[in-house]
Amino acid sequence: MSRYEAQKRDGLARIGTYEYEEASVSLPAALDTDALFPTLRERALSNVPLAIDPAFVQNYFSPGEGQPVAVHPLAASAESGDCVMVANWHTAEKNPRNYAGWLAALKEKLPPDTAWYAPAAALPSTACLLVYSGFDLFDYRGVDLASAQKKFCLSEGEFPASMMETGVCGCEGCREGDLARHNRLALDREIALVRHYVEAGRLRELMEARCRTDAAQVGILRFLDRNYAFMERSLPVARAVPMRANTAESQNRAEVRRFADRVIERFVPTRTDVAVLLPCSARKPYSLSRSHRLFVNTVNRRAHELIVTSPLGLVPRELERVYPAGHYDVPVTGYWDREECAFIADILTRYFAAHPYRRVIAHLEGGALTVAEMAAEACGIDLEVTCKGHPTAPGSLHALDAALEGERRMQTDTIRGTVSWQFATDINTKGLQLRGRSMQMAVLRGKQQLFSIDAGTGLFRPTFEGWDLIPEGYRVRIDSFVPQGDVLAPGITACDPRIREGDEVLVEGPLAIATGRATMGADEMLRSKRGVAIRVRKVKKLGE
Amino acid sequence: MVSKLTEKPLASWRGKDRYEGRILDTLTVIFRSGGCSWNRCRMCGYRHERYPDLPRDELAERLIRQVRWVKENFRDEDYQVLKIFTSGSFFDPDEVPPAVRRAVAEAFRGKAVIAETRPEYVDADAVREFREGIDSGDWDKPLHVAVGLETTNDLIRERSIDKGFSYADFLRAAEAAHAAGAGMKAYLLMKPPFLTEREARDDMIRSIRDVAPVADSISMNLCTVQSRTEVEHLWKQHAYRPPYLWSVLDVLISSPVHILCDPVGGGQMRGPHNCGACDGPIVKGIADYSLSGDVGLLRALAETECGCKEEWEFVLDGEEPFCMPLTR
Repeated sequence: MSRYEAQKRDGLARIGTYEYEEASVSLPAALDTDALFPTLRERALSNVPLAIDPAFVQNYFSPGEGQPVAVHPLAASAESGDCVMVANWHTAEKNPRNYAGWLAALKEKLPPDTAWYAPAAALPSTACLLVYSGFDLFDYRGVDLASAQKKFCLSEGEFPASMMETGVCGCEGCREGDLARHNRLALDREIALVRHYVEAGRLRELMEARCRTDAAQVGILRFLDRNYAFMERSLPVARAVPMRANTAESQNRAEVRRFADRVIERFVPTRTDVAVLLPCSARKPYSLSRSHRLFVNTVNRRAHELIVTSPLGLVPRELERVYPAGHYDVPVTGYWDREECAFIADILTRYFAAHPYRRVIAHLEGGALTVAEMAAEACGIDLEVTCKGHPTAPGSLHALDAALEGERRMQTDTIRGTVSWQFATDINTKGLQLRGRSMQMAVLRGKQQLFSIDAGTGLFRPTFEGWDLIPEGYRVRIDSFVPQGDVLAPGITACDPRIREGDEVLVEGPLAIATGRATMGADEMLRSKRGVAIRVRKVKKLGE
Repeated sequence: MVSKLTEKPLASWRGKDRYEGRILDTLTVIFRSGGCSWNRCRMCGYRHERYPDLPRDELAERLIRQVRWVKENFRDEDYQVLKIFTSGSFFDPDEVPPAVRRAVAEAFRGKAVIAETRPEYVDADAVREFREGIDSGDWDKPLHVAVGLETTNDLIRERSIDKGFSYADFLRAAEAAHAAGAGMKAYLLMKPPFLTEREARDDMIRSIRDVAPVADSISMNLCTVQSRTEVEHLWKQHAYRPPYLWSVLDVLISSPVHILCDPVGGGQMRGPHNCGACDGPIVKGIADYSLSGDVGLLRALAETECGCKEEWEFVLDGEEPFCMPLTR
């Protein structure tokens, strides 16, 4: 009996439990796989390299007897619960383009509820990338080889054994002068650290840091980011932790593009034809900052407030609490590089093409102003610039006030903006009220609660009455049962393919409906036979 | 005057070889031919070295001009043994027209000749005719037919080499060669692709034991990475590593019979190699053993210490078909 169940996900990375025969292990981990799988070494003459022609794979590839089930990008087939062994994966890292292509091919063909074993691949310097890529199980072959080669392994790379005496590590192995012991411990330690980052939902940030010492790893990260559809599918819709956008790769995060795409394609702005572009603030949400209190008071509801920022591009005021708008942090130097400018100008350009305004006022300076000017030129907008020096300087605020003289006042529609961004639907917010303060906010109609707001992620959580406003989408069909607590993946018969981990969903079955939050994406719901798919909040039996 | 034009073989060189227990001067010639009829082996770098399709007369003409070039450029008295390769089969009439074989026999009569061919072309009549053509009575066996058996394991030969014949085919060819009064030489190939270091070593040890009673001599080639071959593609993708010289020593030491072994490309990344520090003496030692048959020399080399030996021992034990190659 072989079973795998993920308990926590962070993109492709998971923390889960693998059970085989008598053993039950928590992954990710490095283990003595020869002991876990007693017949592992009985696979003579079965080598099929990753980079081989399809004919060879067809003629000679074999998944092997029992567990683990060997797989190849051209011959990937396994059952839910299997441990899949991606043979020779340690050679993939040398070719970033292939690495990303093979990984996508494998992940798309194999059931998600399988444990992934990368033989001989794990070193302290590669473990983060491997877990980030969705591998769970490792062995000590790689570090033991390094020991035989008199190499000292650190997360930063492999060094001559003599480095052990320099005091860079104080582990048991180093204290005893035992290189092999140090190398194994270094791998265990790195995996424990990676695991911590997965638990925290911040593995991407460790990955962006770890890849720096190896050009191939940076290449792999970039090639994976380029496959947006593949990476986005497994990323949670929102997180409750900061997003530290500290590297050049941060702006390639699928979450950044997803936010921008939704602002352009889904978001319904507050009804007004005057837009004012504002600079961002370090404090999140922006409106809690001193500068934004000044901007808000000066604008005084006479324009739609849009914050120009890196790396997200454009954050409408309505969405300032939603992940990652309320969560990101970037190093601020005042210098915007060309890549950044082009990327953000493109988002602004697309936004203005989708949402035209009569007037666009740029209350910006420096790089943000440059970006706005680039976008204005691209879509033929006459930009009115109101900054005279610093945006919060009295002269600037005065100019902004003067520019808005006579414009009609209107209320920022956070409810409509957020619901449209989150559920891709436009609702009538007449009579709805946003009540409460930051940590305890809710949307009410009279005394009836329609949504509560998750203070951590900024997402709306619909009640059954809230779901009545959302005519379609984010539905999960289940079999004939009344959910008790959680809905498990095998109970799901269909679901909206747009559902991502963390999304609010409405569960619909013949016997009951329920509100809840998805703990896995739609792809995994449909292709898995194990695991909690939805944490249910409220259940309503039908026909009662 | 086409016939006056010179036509050089692909390669030719003089060397020394151990032949029937004696160290003799050898001339090796690789003729450009019509090309191997099989032409599919994964590591073969001669696939591109063939003549384009020529009418048989012209092919014969060109080959005979190469023979003439050899006669003009090497003095008869400088060598006793002639090794003929065509990058295919000397006894394939489409590749080497019978008229050429007769010309070769006439030109090199009196030499001990070793001619390479695939087993399906070892036809007793053709072999006998050629043997009689070169036989001046000076040699016990003036002709050895050499076949690239590569391994006695049919699965490995098919998977790793795509050779297109079986060990049974080789045994039939050996019988035919012996019936025609010729000797049989077997070429083995150490570590074609898709084998772990351990599988490669064990394959050679077994193959040598299997073929020793059948073949009159055995030559073991060490797989190298040649340009524009499938093996090169795999090597570039980090999916292939040539054998360790330590493994080669292991195989040669454990052999019950003498093995000819020219460690071509030894010590280089594209050839059999260790770490780079210890390669030189081992490569020389293997070449010396190939001539002298001095197994003691090999044993001494295998005992020498080098930092890479522990790596090799680890690879030998720990490399598996699902995680290879472990090293570069």
